[in-house]
Amino acid sequence: MNASIGAAIPRGDARPKVRGTARYAVDVELAGMGHARLLRSPVAAGRIVRLDLEAARRAPGVRAVAAASDMPSRLHGLVLRDQPAFASEVVRYEGEPIAAVVADTLAEAETAVGLIELEIEEWEPVVDLDYAISEQARLVHPDWESYQMLIEGGFPRGGNVVAELAADPDGVDAAFASAYRVVEDAFGADRQYQAYLEPKGALASYEDGRYTIHVSHQFPFAIRDRLAQVLDVGLGRIRVIGHHIGGGFGAKLDLGLEPYVAVLARLSGRPVKLVNHRTEDLITCPSRENALIRIRTAVSQKGEFLARELHCLLDSGAYAIDAPFLVSLPLLLANGAYRVGPTRVSARAVYTNTAPTGAFRGVSGTYLNFAVERHVDHIANELGLDRNELRRLNLLDDGDRLPNGQTLDDARSLHEAFDMLDDISTTKEVGSGGWRGVGTAATVWLTNPLPGSAILKLNEDGTLGVITAATENGSGAVAMGLRQIAAAQVDVLPDQVIISMPDTDSAPYDAGSQGSRTTHIVGRALVEAGEELRRQILSKAAQILEAAPEDLELSNGTVRVVGAPSSAIPLATVALKATADGASITATGSYATASPRYDPTCASGFLFPTFPTPTYHVHRAEVEVDPLLGTVTVLRYVVVQEVGKAINPQGVAGQIQGGVAQGLGYALWEGLQIGSDGRYRQRTFEAYRLPLAVDVPRVEIVLLENGHDEGPFGARGVAEPPVVPVAAAIANAVADAIGAPINRIPITPADILDAIETVNRHATA
Amino acid sequence: MNLTFALNGRTASVDVEAGETLLRTLRDRLSLTGAKEGCVEGECGACTVLLDGQPVDSCLLPSMSVARRSVTTVEGLGSVDTLHPVQAAMVDSGGVQCGFCTPGFIMVLVALLRENPDPTELEIRQAVSGNICRCTGYAQIVDAVIEKARGAM
Repeated sequence: MNASIGAAIPRGDARPKVRGTARYAVDVELAGMGHARLLRSPVAAGRIVRLDLEAARRAPGVRAVAAASDMPSRLHGLVLRDQPAFASEVVRYEGEPIAAVVADTLAEAETAVGLIELEIEEWEPVVDLDYAISEQARLVHPDWESYQMLIEGGFPRGGNVVAELAADPDGVDAAFASAYRVVEDAFGADRQYQAYLEPKGALASYEDGRYTIHVSHQFPFAIRDRLAQVLDVGLGRIRVIGHHIGGGFGAKLDLGLEPYVAVLARLSGRPVKLVNHRTEDLITCPSRENALIRIRTAVSQKGEFLARELHCLLDSGAYAIDAPFLVSLPLLLANGAYRVGPTRVSARAVYTNTAPTGAFRGVSGTYLNFAVERHVDHIANELGLDRNELRRLNLLDDGDRLPNGQTLDDARSLHEAFDMLDDISTTKEVGSGGWRGVGTAATVWLTNPLPGSAILKLNEDGTLGVITAATENGSGAVAMGLRQIAAAQVDVLPDQVIISMPDTDSAPYDAGSQGSRTTHIVGRALVEAGEELRRQILSKAAQILEAAPEDLELSNGTVRVVGAPSSAIPLATVALKATADGASITATGSYATASPRYDPTCASGFLFPTFPTPTYHVHRAEVEVDPLLGTVTVLRYVVVQEVGKAINPQGVAGQIQGGVAQGLGYALWEGLQIGSDGRYRQRTFEAYRLPLAVDVPRVEIVLLENGHDEGPFGARGVAEPPVVPVAAAIANAVADAIGAPINRIPITPADILDAIETVNRHATA
Repeated sequence: MNLTFALNGRTASVDVEAGETLLRTLRDRLSLTGAKEGCVEGECGACTVLLDGQPVDSCLLPSMSVARRSVTTVEGLGSVDTLHPVQAAMVDSGGVQCGFCTPGFIMVLVALLRENPDPTELEIRQAVSGNICRCTGYAQIVDAVIEKARGAM
């Protein structure tokens, strides 16, 4: 294998980033641009009684003011058209945009927003999930029936239920009726804010009927497509230019501020820039949804999982966005990494008067894994079995199926992973102290299958150009993964690879940095493009060298006749000749993962039905609890992960370490709590507590590399899943340490002290 | 109001408004965008610059308070061809992912190593506890100091 593959080569974009010269959207300036601010709803629910924009329009420096009447009247949406760009008659969450102003300076725009006269008749917001689906709840969308679904055949929904999945296979009740024991649990999880360091921002200009949008965004083509929908214009009317991305973690996959800069640019006739303040970013960001989960399992005396029921309510917030997809996850993940008999699942996404929730690395997997793995520990305790042995007894293996009927032909990796984990860590005694505990969690995860493509061109100096809309969100998937794959496939040095920034006008389609797909999907597209590029190179070199192409070899940027070193010519010579001959060397590659086979009759409302290119993960945490303060110190954290092939082990380690850190935050500190007024209680980085360097241990990482046949050089997806099992492993460790269940995340000191007190009361009673 | 101060080794003279923060002056008036605006609360550290050698949150600092003092931003370190040892260490160790927090971390680490050329891992972690990195989980940033930058300055 080429030396670029598997090497810890520094990322291609590191130098401008350490020098402070890398430009993010918030750093971009366009000549003559104005600065915009939004008027956002100060309350979670109500009717707009009066909106008067006149004083704002007349304010100094103001160039344009926009509101609902400046947009097409049709609602927009990813799967369901239920959302207006600007609220007009009603507001449905705190922070919902109502109007936008652009002025010469930011201060003038802020002043003008303050002059808008807004009167809202406030309503009691719908907040609680159980209440929202009850008969007496006010409908967040009284017109829900009129909304257009963008999925062929539609999906089950109604009232405050945005979307519903239901699976009810035969045999569940019979298995429960005859089981040795039934174990039951209820779990809850708060929202988690993606907390990327670069707040959302966007710039737009408008000329000749076309919008040019500048973004730091994970999915430029989604901006093109969704903005075209919002503005009701053709796709060709929109060009999206991507800049460096200051973190996204899923929150920069769908529309953000783009509609507002676009309409203001058209109305004002000049470029417009808009950037969120941190608090407005936090309170309006589509965070990971809060959820409630009930789970019960019928077990045999030996500990086999005979049947299961899992019911999940997840909070979609005021609009659907991706929730109709997300209700599929409770079915796919109901059994985690374990073999379980027939499994009944219901999952409902619920409208509330809160900010719409959305994608965050690992999506619903984080709390579903928490529920399933806490439940496994509970079953072990109930049956008096060793937790690790119970896991291994039920662990998925080659040929086992997920609840959707999809066969896993490589789940043996889970057993390998457990073997490696048990070699280096233990589930028994950890240290001397009495308040220490250990927890384990495992998961199967997917590599997002959506299509990607790239163009390779051999430049006339022998460097290799890569034109792609794949985005470098920080993960290294482009700056390490694609760079090294392109270098290896054409056999040049990585520093000879030049990768374009995303531009929807010039790059072929890419489905964005989501679900660990970039290295796997676009890498595979590059492998295909690289093969064609090599064919063209050898063909042209054969003309120059007067040899047959099959007698030539290409390595290290040079073509030579095999066995005749003196015949070597550099790639620059080949490229110059090809260009001069009117046949410049260029190739395109495209790839999407074929859908795995599954049983489409296994559930209704099943819009996200498979786990393509599966990966396997086992995590173990050792913690110490302070019984007086209720705080948790993570003593040790071990990850064994199946990656297929680590194209850059340093990058893979960075993804695992970073994903675990986000998972620790989710488990222990981060949590957006919603008051009865529908407003978040945490509104700043001071109140919303992110993990710091003193909080996060150095993760011990073991990689399994069972190469994937379809992946570039065997690579599978890497970056998303390390966040998934963390809350479960930590919660199991904390529960082990204190001898009491932990059924809510984040695990707060108050929860821990309450749990300890409950145990003590039982002990003395 | 006119503000004169030493910026990255040269004299800078610029008109600023009353109450304007150093971050706004650097970014909006002097086109130095290496210092980032992450929160404007002094919580994330992405705006960190050195004031007379000490790390400060430029988002909270009134520009007039740096009059006749010395400010160093990330642009004042190294050169386009030769990185500062801390910058080079961050590149080599994988301490950079999205990069938005990176200039702030680098400024803090430069100040740390000037005062304490051989810090322990705990000292490094404590030094950067005013800086949030959402991508890396900090290990490779700490490695940058332990494996590369320590002793290189």
